[in-house]
Amino acid sequence: MLNPFDRYALQKAIELKRNNNAKITCVTMGPPPAVEVLIDAFDYGADYGVLLTDKRLAASDTLATSYALHMVARHLGEFDIIFTGLQTTDGDTAQVGPQIAERLGIPQITYCEELEVVNKKIKARRVVEGGCQIMEAGMPALITVANSATPLGHKKFADVAEVKEFLRHPDERQKRIKTVNLDDINADPKRIGLVGSPTVVGKTWKIGEIGGSCVMFQGESLQREVEELMEHLEQDEREIGEIINVQR
Amino acid sequence: MSSAKNVTVIAEQLQGDLQNISFELLGAARTLAEKLEVGVNAFLIGNNITNMAEKLIHGGADEVFVVDEPELEEYATLPYRRAALTILEHLDEAPPIILMGATTIGRDIAPRIAAYLKTGLTADCTELDIGDYHHKGKADPTKTGEYKDVLYAIRPSFGESLKARILGPWKNPQMATARVGVMEKLPVDPTRKGKITSVKTAFKPEDFRVKVIETIRDLSTSINLTEAKVIISGGFGMGGPEGFELLEDLASIFKDSVVGASRRAVDAGWISYPHQVGQTGKTVRPNLYIAVGISGAIQHRVGMSNAKTIIAVNKDPDAPIFRFADYGIVGDVGEVVPVLKQAFLEKFKQQKTASGV
Ligand SMILES: Cc1cc2nc3c(=O)[nH]c(=O)nc-3n(C[C@H](O)[C@H](O)[C@H](O)COP(=O)(O)OP(=O)(O)OC[C@H]3O[C@@H](n4cnc5c(N)ncnc54)[C@H](O)[C@@H]3O)c2cc1C
Ligand SMILES: Nc1ncnc2c1ncn2[C@@H]1O[C@H](COP(=O)(O)O)[C@@H](O)[C@H]1O
Repeated sequence: MLNPFDRYALQKAIELKRNNNAKITCVTMGPPPAVEVLIDAFDYGADYGVLLTDKRLAASDTLATSYALHMVARHLGEFDIIFTGLQTTDGDTAQVGPQIAERLGIPQITYCEELEVVNKKIKARRVVEGGCQIMEAGMPALITVANSATPLGHKKFADVAEVKEFLRHPDERQKRIKTVNLDDINADPKRIGLVGSPTVVGKTWKIGEIGGSCVMFQGESLQREVEELMEHLEQDEREIGEIINVQR
Repeated sequence: MSSAKNVTVIAEQLQGDLQNISFELLGAARTLAEKLEVGVNAFLIGNNITNMAEKLIHGGADEVFVVDEPELEEYATLPYRRAALTILEHLDEAPPIILMGATTIGRDIAPRIAAYLKTGLTADCTELDIGDYHHKGKADPTKTGEYKDVLYAIRPSFGESLKARILGPWKNPQMATARVGVMEKLPVDPTRKGKITSVKTAFKPEDFRVKVIETIRDLSTSINLTEAKVIISGGFGMGGPEGFELLEDLASIFKDSVVGASRRAVDAGWISYPHQVGQTGKTVRPNLYIAVGISGAIQHRVGMSNAKTIIAVNKDPDAPIFRFADYGIVGDVGEVVPVLKQAFLEKFKQQKTASGV
């Protein structure tokens, strides 16, 4: 599944494609079924897809992931902008984007909400504490797109139909979707996977409260719902005590 | 002993003001440093900021390395990166640990520094500690071994459902960013003494490939969100500034209460930035947090999920806020808020009668 945060990045790429006649290549690193992510992106208007898949990539941390992805970028040749999502939903480190930029030696604009390209110059607005910044940059550059940016639009029927069509033709499919492994992109196996990751996950704990413990009040009359809420608060002595104590 | 062995904090200042996170990091660094029996270094980067170095010493630093250059007036990735790397190169060895804030600045620059140094970085930590680690790995036997005095970087993951301890004992510095409002500051000690070392940076033309054209920012801090016992927060679902009057009204019945807001409500201009709760606003932990017309985006959640009791009011039963609130009322803000207020007033009255006041 396309990482929810990456949908904003894809939307930005599609806007650029529309306004600047650009082409979009989507890159994903994952097991073979991750090709579905690329096909999904095609449906929204992406032009090419690359799947980097290799068993040796397993357990890569962000440093190793960014190494692998930057090698894909090198392998693909010239580009104007690399978009990444702000973060992933599992790891949510927000590191892979800036680390790709560092390795490629290109500038970055993170937390980008708005972006346009005029005369080969990027103009962007990014989120900061207490406000925003207006930035200007040349290309190439790497942009991480904030989830406060424009949400991904709808798939167009024509695009979806076109994708269905080319998927039926193996030669067309091969032109549009490349599957590569570490050797294809000249990546050093020592710098990926467990071996190339400077960090490991030691121990994990479940955190109790979050997820599914919310007591919902709905469907009754509002009056009744709020009464029930109060009853619940009261049952939990700790809660009501602390709340009542703070009445004015 | 070389001061390079010290636990290092990259301090954060905005417009000439040291941010709270800098002192929180110093607090965390001191605890780690004591366990390692070393001192604490701070890096201070900016323009016209040398005079703030002393404050970092009062907050727990033993040595402050300052890069003070006109090119660093406003935060920008590459010049600040250059300054930090210059200080690191100035030291004769890599510090064991580098801490930064999980702010838009820390999350922008820390990954680049880590990638440059080819070392590990753990994002958004909520706990930091020192301990031993025994690694048994089949995939890479060269890593196997007993490691002493390793940084335990502890962070939530998988949408806050898990807590994970991340380790990177093989290479220094071990880097981590810490969430705002989580680590404990030390009491300010104006008698503490330390060393201030100024470091010159040679920028390169490519450090200026991104220009900051304009920064629009409101950093006033007149609202005491962090101390409040009850916070009534409104989001984009409030529909306009009038909605926030409704919340003021509800807040007025509680002692130690303030009105909070989501970023979207602040961006819309309905309420000012000092009210904002979340990643780029305040981190709060009141006894009661009522989120009204707020969807519950991750950046809002990280600022308020430590509230003891969370009540959410939203017309959309599928709003993500209901996944981590304790109680949820599905309904329109305009209708629910007055009823809530009445119900609380009623409860207060009952309580008073019962206790005979
Ligand atoms: C780098 C970065 C930092 C950020 N920092 C912060 C931060 O510090 N704090 C923060 O809050 N956000 C922050 N955000 C923004 C965050 O991602 C969300 O966009 C924001 O929190 C959404 O605000 P909201 O819930 O008010 O608005 P929305 O997501 O639009 O939600 C509005 C909610 O109101 C409900 N609603 C609408 N009308 C009614 C009605 N009449 N009655 C009841 N319910 C109604 C809707 O169902 C919806 O759930 C940040 C984003 C980025 C990228
Ligand atoms: N396996 C991957 N394949 C493609 N892009 C990735 C991968 N992992 C991370 N990214 C990109 O990097 C961004 C940040 O991820 P993270 O640093 O893991 O939070 C994501 O939003 C993606 O755009």
